[in-house]
Formats: sequence, structure tokens, C-alpha cells
Amino acid sequence: MSVSQAYHILFTAGLVWFAILIAVMLIKAIIGPGVTDRILAINMIGTMVICCILILSVLLDENYLTDVALIYAMISYIAVLILATVYIPANPKRKRFGEDVKREVEEGRRYVKEQRAEIRRKMEEEGFKGSTPIDMDGKEL
Amino acid sequence: MKERFLKWFYGESDPMEHILDCAEVPDESREEWKYEEHEIEREISRRVHTQSVIRAERRGFYAFYLIIAVISCLMLIGVLLFTVSQLPRYGVENPRAKEVVERYVEKGLEETGAVNIVSGMILDYRAFDTLGESHVLFTALLCVMILLRLDEKNKRTRYENYYTVLADPYYDISTDPIMRIAATITLPSIFLFGIYILLNGQISPGGGFSGGAVMGAALIIYAAAFGFTVTDRVFTYRMSRCITFLSLAFYSFAKGYVFFTGANGIPNGVPKGTPGAIFSGGLILPLDIAVGMVVACTMFGFYSLFRRGSIGGE
Amino acid sequence: MLEWILFAVCALLLFAAMVSFTGAVIGAIRFGFVMNSMHAAGIGDTFGILCLVLCLILSIGPGLNMMKLLVILVFLWFNSPVSTHFLIQVEYFTNKELYRFSDRIAGSKTNETASGEEK
Repeated sequence: MSVSQAYHILFTAGLVWFAILIAVMLIKAIIGPGVTDRILAINMIGTMVICCILILSVLLDENYLTDVALIYAMISYIAVLILATVYIPANPKRKRFGEDVKREVEEGRRYVKEQRAEIRRKMEEEGFKGSTPIDMDGKEL
Repeated sequence: MKERFLKWFYGESDPMEHILDCAEVPDESREEWKYEEHEIEREISRRVHTQSVIRAERRGFYAFYLIIAVISCLMLIGVLLFTVSQLPRYGVENPRAKEVVERYVEKGLEETGAVNIVSGMILDYRAFDTLGESHVLFTALLCVMILLRLDEKNKRTRYENYYTVLADPYYDISTDPIMRIAATITLPSIFLFGIYILLNGQISPGGGFSGGAVMGAALIIYAAAFGFTVTDRVFTYRMSRCITFLSLAFYSFAKGYVFFTGANGIPNGVPKGTPGAIFSGGLILPLDIAVGMVVACTMFGFYSLFRRGSIGGE
Repeated sequence: MLEWILFAVCALLLFAAMVSFTGAVIGAIRFGFVMNSMHAAGIGDTFGILCLVLCLILSIGPGLNMMKLLVILVFLWFNSPVSTHFLIQVEYFTNKELYRFSDRIAGSKTNETASGEEK
């Protein structure tokens, strides 16, 4: 058998094995208890898909598939970054604030408190009865 | 199940509930009862929210708007259904199955001048469809802006969240030196790569949409790495508006001119060039650039709106 | 004869890449803590992709595509540590039970205070 046939068989075997690994990582993404396990699984799936695309670009002799692989690498990188910006500040036990932020936060809280006290007075007149559904304009249905 | 769905529908269930182990949101589907102590606060919040969203004196306008919107949607649906009913049926006699495909494949290169037939199809034969897609992107950005924008009405009540989430440097990745160094070294290459994909629409796979997506991704990394104060000096609301409007207007006028001359049998003066060069394919390159600009601005606009409620920091 | 030697080297490199990726996947699944599995995932990101790209370069030969493959390699090597850095920060800030087994860590005296805070 010729060399090109041997290469064909070799790369096809590599692709099959990568597909099996991707399926196993997908199971981990479903099971994994916690947020970080799933983001890690998606990152690894992305890396293995990049490897699959590179092998395909050699197998099919097409040049533009390397561009596709580069785009995939960029997108998976930026996905992990943006997920991190969403999850890192969501800690419920935050304890550190800057000094200049406290002032603006208190001003906002004072305004909100006044508004809520006013509404509370109105509810006291009604006698704290409720659960009549309210329209979007504030009228009762 | 119905309770869970209603909770989600009215925005009372917290998606982070199971992850952060917060207390469950109590439900309000009871009748003939008095508010208890811990429920008074929730009711106050709900009334604050409804008051700040809609004013009572504009009810007339909203009724009129609703009726006109429903009538125009029904008219559009009727026109489209009528047009679809006039098309030839599915099957082997349908010209779509044989004649159209053969025409595109055989004569695609000489009629459009593009080596990449797919680009030639979406930007030359079926350019009207691509124009509609760009308008869809623009409309999506408008809808997200309507729903999520922080303006004077709801800025006061969302003050706390707005400032505590974004301004705390301990929890913000844009103050991380690792992030800044990585962005400084890799961002120029990513942006150049996006431009390369955009300009190569007629030679190799790529084109406006993918190039625009990569450019938008580069802008997002920049905003995440260096913070919004630096990005707002370059990418303001006015610039985003001008770019999207000018791109769509240029696309509409250029394609309108080509349709007009084509329908009347006059040859349009757009040169086709040699296939395989950068400046080939007639109008494909300028239209690619227009579409790419719209996509990049839309991508960055989505990120900016979801993150802090405004595009240009106004 | 030279072609077959090249083929043998390519096969060896591809086999090494397969082994390292398999090790990374097994490590990501078997470890109980996420931080350890990230350490295992790094093997695939660095050694596996290196072997794979070397194998492909040997089978393609010099040219434009070789440069593109090298660009992908450098990009991945540069950016996966940054992703791991931020993933570990996510784990540190959102996981409540991070110190659950800290009494088994040698020389750790902060067990009671840590679990007392978390509870």
C-alpha cells in the first residue's frame, strides 16, 4: 500500500479517537457538580475540536480550514474570559468596597428608602390587604 | 410545574439560586390575605418597579400603537403568504432543483467575478436577502437597547447594583495585570485577522459576517481587559449609530442602483476584475465591508448593553 | 524509503498526542476537585497540541500552511494559561466548600475557622 493511503488511515484513526474523547468530555459537562467543571469541560472540548479541524485540513488538502481553527481558538478564549467576568463578582459574601463607591451607594439607598417609605404609608392606609393583581399602569384589574 | 413557569415568566426566580444557595423566592399566588412582615418589602419593590416603567397618562397612545402594530403585522403576513403561494411547488419539475443550481455553478464565476461562489451568491445573486439580514441585526440591537438601557427612570433604583458590581476593583478582571499584558500582545493580531477574513470574502471562505464577528470579539476583549472608561473614548454611542446607519444606507443605495439597471436591461458600470485578485467580484468587497461593520458594532453593542446598560457610557 | 521514515515519525508523534489528550481527559474526570483537574487539562493544552502540530508540519512540508499552523500553536500556548488563571478565580470566588478537606492538608491549622465561616 502507498504512503498516502497509510496517512489516510492514520489520520482517520486519530479523528475517531478524538471524537470519543469529545463525547466523554460532554458527559463530564453534564454531570460535573458546579459551574467551574462545566466551563473547563467546554474549554477542553474546544481545544479538541481545534485539533480535529487541523487534522481535517491536512486530510482533505484544504487551506482555509486552518483559518477556521484559529477563529475557534479565539472564540473559546473569549468565552472563558467573559464567563469569568460574570461569575467572579457574583459572590454573595463580598466584604471589600472602595471608599468613593460607598458614598454613591448610600445616596442611592437614601433615595430608594424615601420612595419605599411613601409606598408603605399608602399601604398602611389600605390596611395591608393585597393580592389584587395590578395592571402595568398601576390600576387594579 | 405551572408555579415554576409563572415564577420564571414574571422574573421572580433567580437563575443563580441553586449555585449560590440563596433563599427561595416566596410565591404570591394566594388570595384574601394580609401582607406579612417579610412580604411588605417585596410588594413595595414591585410597586416601585411598575410605577417607574409606565406612566398612566400615555394609555391612549399605547392602545393606538398596539392596534396599528397588529394591523401592519397581519398585512405583512398576508402579503408574504400570497407571494409564497404563487411559487412553484416542490418536486422534480421545480426549476430550483436543476436549472438554478446549474446556472449558479456554471456561470457563477463569469457573471459575478468571484472565485468563492457562496460569497457571489449571497452578495450578488441574492443580495436582497443579505440586506434583510443586516437589518435584522440592527433591529435586534434596537430591541435589546429598549429592554436593557439604563436611563433616568431606572438608574436611581438600580444604582446599588450598578455601582457595586462594576466599580469594585477586587472583583473586576480589568485590573488584572495578566489580562492587560495578554490583551496588549494578542489583540492587534486578532483585529488584523478579522480584517483579513473580511477582505478575503470573494477568494476564500470568510466574508462579511465572520470577519465582523471576529472584529466584534476583539472589541469585547479590549473592553473586558482595559475597562469601559478607556473604550468609551473611542467607541461612543454616536459612532456606533453613524457606522451602522451609513453601512446600511450604502448597502441599500448600491444594491438599489444595481437592481434598477439590471431590471431595465442597462449595463451597470461596476467592473468585475480578474478572478482571484483582491479587487474582484464587482460590488462584493464594499458590501462585505458594510456588513462586517454592522456585525462588529452589533456584537460590541450587545456586550456593552448586557454588562452595564448603555452603549457609549452616556 | 525516506517517506516511510517520515511516516513512522508522524505516527509516533500522533500517538504521543493521543496519549496526552487521553491523560488530560481522564484527569479532568477522575479528580474530585476542579483545581486538580485543571492541572491535568494543561497537559493536553501544551504537550498534546505541540505533538499534533509537529506531526502535521512534517506531513505537509514547508509553505504558507506551515506558518499558519505555527501561528495557531503560539496563540493557544499564549492564551490557555490566561483562561486557566481566570477559571481558578471563578472557582475560588464561587465555591463554598473549598476548605472542606483542609484538615487533611499537612500543617493546616485553619480548619475550624474556615468551615465555621462557610457554615
